[in-house]
Amino acid sequence: MKATQATTYRMLGSRLDDISRQLEDMRLMGTTNKKLNRPSDNPSAVGPVFNIRQQLAHVDRYVDTMGKSLDTMQATDSHLDHVENIMQQAKEIVTNALNGALNEEDRTVLADSLANLRKELLATANSSINGRYLFAGYQENTVPFAENPAYDPLLFNADDSSTWPYLYQGDAHATTLEITPGETIPINLTGSNLFFGTTSWDPADPTQNATEPGRYNLFVTLTRAEEAIRANSSDDMQAGLADLEGAAQQNRQLRAQLGNRAARVETAMAHQEETRVDLQQILSRYEDADIFETFTAIMEQETALQAALSITSKVSQLSILNYL
Amino acid sequence: MTSLLNALNAGKTSLLTNQKSIEVVGTNIANINTAGYSRQRADLSDVPALNFGDFFIGQGVAVTSVSRDYNLFINQQLQSKSIEYGEETGKSNSLAELERVFNIGKDNLATQINEFFDAWRELTTNPNGQVERDIVIQRGQFLGDAFQGITTELDTIQQNMNTEIAAEIDGLNEKIAEVARLNERISMVEVAGQSANAARDQRDVLLNELSEALGVQSYTDNRGMVNLLLPGGMPLVQGNMASTITTVSNGTDVHLQLQVAGSTLEVFPENLGGKMKGMFTIRDEFIAGLRQDLNTLARDFTEAINTEHRSGYGSDGVSGRDFFLDMATLGPNDVPSRNVRVVLTDGSQVAAAGNPAAAPGDNEAALRIAQLETGHKVAGTKDTFDSFYSTIVATVGIEAARNRLALSGARDATVQLQNLRDGYSGVSLEEEMIDLIQFQRGFESSAKFLATVDEMISTLLELKR
Repeated sequence: MKATQATTYRMLGSRLDDISRQLEDMRLMGTTNKKLNRPSDNPSAVGPVFNIRQQLAHVDRYVDTMGKSLDTMQATDSHLDHVENIMQQAKEIVTNALNGALNEEDRTVLADSLANLRKELLATANSSINGRYLFAGYQENTVPFAENPAYDPLLFNADDSSTWPYLYQGDAHATTLEITPGETIPINLTGSNLFFGTTSWDPADPTQNATEPGRYNLFVTLTRAEEAIRANSSDDMQAGLADLEGAAQQNRQLRAQLGNRAARVETAMAHQEETRVDLQQILSRYEDADIFETFTAIMEQETALQAALSITSKVSQLSILNYL
Repeated sequence: MTSLLNALNAGKTSLLTNQKSIEVVGTNIANINTAGYSRQRADLSDVPALNFGDFFIGQGVAVTSVSRDYNLFINQQLQSKSIEYGEETGKSNSLAELERVFNIGKDNLATQINEFFDAWRELTTNPNGQVERDIVIQRGQFLGDAFQGITTELDTIQQNMNTEIAAEIDGLNEKIAEVARLNERISMVEVAGQSANAARDQRDVLLNELSEALGVQSYTDNRGMVNLLLPGGMPLVQGNMASTITTVSNGTDVHLQLQVAGSTLEVFPENLGGKMKGMFTIRDEFIAGLRQDLNTLARDFTEAINTEHRSGYGSDGVSGRDFFLDMATLGPNDVPSRNVRVVLTDGSQVAAAGNPAAAPGDNEAALRIAQLETGHKVAGTKDTFDSFYSTIVATVGIEAARNRLALSGARDATVQLQNLRDGYSGVSLEEEMIDLIQFQRGFESSAKFLATVDEMISTLLELKR
């Protein structure tokens, strides 16, 4: 087969085309530092890349959510610490009151200080963070606890929340957040659970609300202890002391639960941070160009282009026409 | 004396023949850059010898014909490769556009889907937040815009293709008519016993171009006329009769018809080959498939969100509201991917709450909606919204990558075949130069021969003096 002028120039042209095109692709890779610039660069990477990007977006969101959850949990924990103190002080006061050497005036002082503790407990139960009440369940805009103006110790009925010394205006829903894909966790305690010792709450029908067996209504415990001191009933004071201890225990239990959950959130958060690094690495494997590889390849192609250009310029000099 | 005059005559034929051969060489050199030109050669043969006594003595040389170097097999190969090359070319422009629309950068539909669900996740942390509620609505609108954006881009690509098809057809009709005219000329020239080399070369070039554009099939009849057919068998050129392709616009759609001898035939994509087939395949099958997938996604997505949303409660306590326009209410001509629209008008209507009390901290419905992102599978698939979309993008990527490979393969193959054709039919300057020297020498030596015979005649004439 003979080589014609057209063959020679066609081959040179097509080769120059190929090299220039490849060089163009590599330059794009070099300037974007990405080897995945369009779907056809690696169609099988499209799915993983989208998926990883989605997961990375999730990680950011989860870390953010968990940060907010931890804020709430830490704030709640310091309030529970305060409740613990209140119950401790209340026990000390009742123990004091049980001491027979006290006169009525002394007892009134003690009962008054219990009344103060009750107000402190109310303030704690009504604490808020960013304008949202911590212990109101979903009713975060409503002050959860209020003194019951209709309270009458003689009419007190444990099975009718409308006769209790304090009324609850929140609900029984703890806030749940998604902290990792598919895992949701309650991030707070409801007022009814923590202060009234019940996980269910029907705001419409007070006779449906009762403290669960073995659990305590912290406000009632304090109120009853105070009443026992005022009435100087040592039996009631004894019972009140036991109840106060039980109530403190209930507070400690829930605090421990919350602490466990906070620990879970913290490990989950650390895990998400690690996941982020892993995901970024995987993403980089799919997307990012190896800078050394790219530049070596660019230099190779440039050399090839130079060779092709120099050959093109020499081709025209080699002809029988130059010898005739 | 007779023989000397014969020799003189033989010398004359040699002079003329070499001169003719040099002219042919000249034509070859002149056409060195003419596309499709086949190298020509003067076919020489000695003039039949006459009997002089006991000997047969030749009477010189004659050019019997000017033939061209031509290989039917290579030319047919080139034609069929051109069909393949044309088909991939027809796809490549649109695929490059589609790769831009379905890009893998950070700004695509998948990102918008992520952002939409992220807004719901943010809402779960503060279900009463007016800002968070507004962001959910806004993200829903952005997502709808992204769906609409892609759909519009697909429309634009199809419109551009229609324009290109219409423009291309005009040029093709010219070429089809030209083939018929060349057929006529070739048959007229060749019936007179000559060879119509130039016309055949020109016709071959047109044949290649028509193969690349339409995938035409061809056969040659006994008069040397080439007949062209579309791949489906519809006649484009019969002898000296040419058909005409017309483009018919139907709304935004363009299709082809063929005018053959007074009747009109519908040309379907399966009747086509080459570039036109490539373009129609992308337009009517590939892009149509993408649209269908987008519509599936749009329908499934809005339905899944609406179903959850209807079961939730807005901060105004109202339940049963759709978040997006219900696709079931669309008319038959409404495109779902164009109608992903948020129908809520106010942040308070966003159903974040799962309970009728719609308490400010109630985030149950928002949680459920946020979890659709990873938990929901698009109907009939195992794909989440995100992975369903990435499948669409991967489809574009696979087709574009395949096209790039096939295109460069077909291009290489046509280059190789053109080289092969050149090796057979092309003009090589070196070859022509050597021929030139050869015929020049032939011319010079016949001149010398004539001079010698002339001297001999002179010598004879001198005898008498």
